[in-house]
Amino acid sequence: MHISDGVLPTSVTLGGYALSIAILAWSVRRTKSEELPKVAVVSAAFFVASLIHIPFGPTSVHLLLAGLSGALLGSSAFLAIALALLLQSLLFQFGGLTALGANVLMMGLPALACGWLFQCFKGRTRTRQAIAGGLAGALGTALAAVILALLLATGGEDFYGVAEFALAANIPVIIIEGVVSFFTIGFLARVKPELLEPGMGLTIQNPNRNEVPNP
Amino acid sequence: MKTWPILFLILLFTACWLSTPALAGTGNATSCTKVTAKIEAQDTKLSADLRRIYREIAALRADFNKPGMREIFGGLGYIAGLFGVAAFVASRRKD
Repeated sequence: MHISDGVLPTSVTLGGYALSIAILAWSVRRTKSEELPKVAVVSAAFFVASLIHIPFGPTSVHLLLAGLSGALLGSSAFLAIALALLLQSLLFQFGGLTALGANVLMMGLPALACGWLFQCFKGRTRTRQAIAGGLAGALGTALAAVILALLLATGGEDFYGVAEFALAANIPVIIIEGVVSFFTIGFLARVKPELLEPGMGLTIQNPNRNEVPNP
Repeated sequence: MKTWPILFLILLFTACWLSTPALAGTGNATSCTKVTAKIEAQDTKLSADLRRIYREIAALRADFNKPGMREIFGGLGYIAGLFGVAAFVASRRKD
């Protein structure tokens, strides 16, 4: 699910760049420096996930991890996804450089939405967190397909036709993504539950930092 | 002395007339079909070979477009490095 060069009209390309740069700036401002390693790890996972092709029937699908990175990072997910998509388009030629803004929007907006929904619905228990994570993962892919259809509709395509096709083609991805996110969030909730909190480690690290006198 | 060339020509023409149907009928025809059969066999073999080579070229091209280990680890290095720089800058700003 990548938009290539020359598919979208110029106005949409420029608008996509402007909007994604604005959201990216907001995302960078919201990212705490203590969270940077976590953002980097999720960014690297997102970068690599698109290379793991799972054979499914006649075709093969690959993971997107938009929903999962949103659930893990919250507002910083946009930064992680933008960087990973930039490197993917530079190194792997996945999606064109001119369509990068639209591609970042297509992956980043579902991540933000899923992150917000995950924080709303995760609850306290581990199973509930895992289920919320799985739903967030599935929803992320579905939302990305809808945004893809919206973007292609600006290029003159029929919105409902493209949306139907994109959703139908991505049903296996949605299912696999949901399962992977379910197990990932379930695992993290068991071994490192503080990773699922929005402002990880801030309350623990800041007082210590202030107590240590600067040399 | 003038009869000899005439006789020779008559002999030549009769020989030609006798031998042409023979050449065209039996020997030449069989050699022709043999040669065409051989050419056709070579042709099918060569076209099969060519098709195999085309397929290999297409596979190579697909492989060429596929990112390799170098790109993957390069990208991971970029991510680690960029976030390292960001963390470094953030830590400098805080102290």
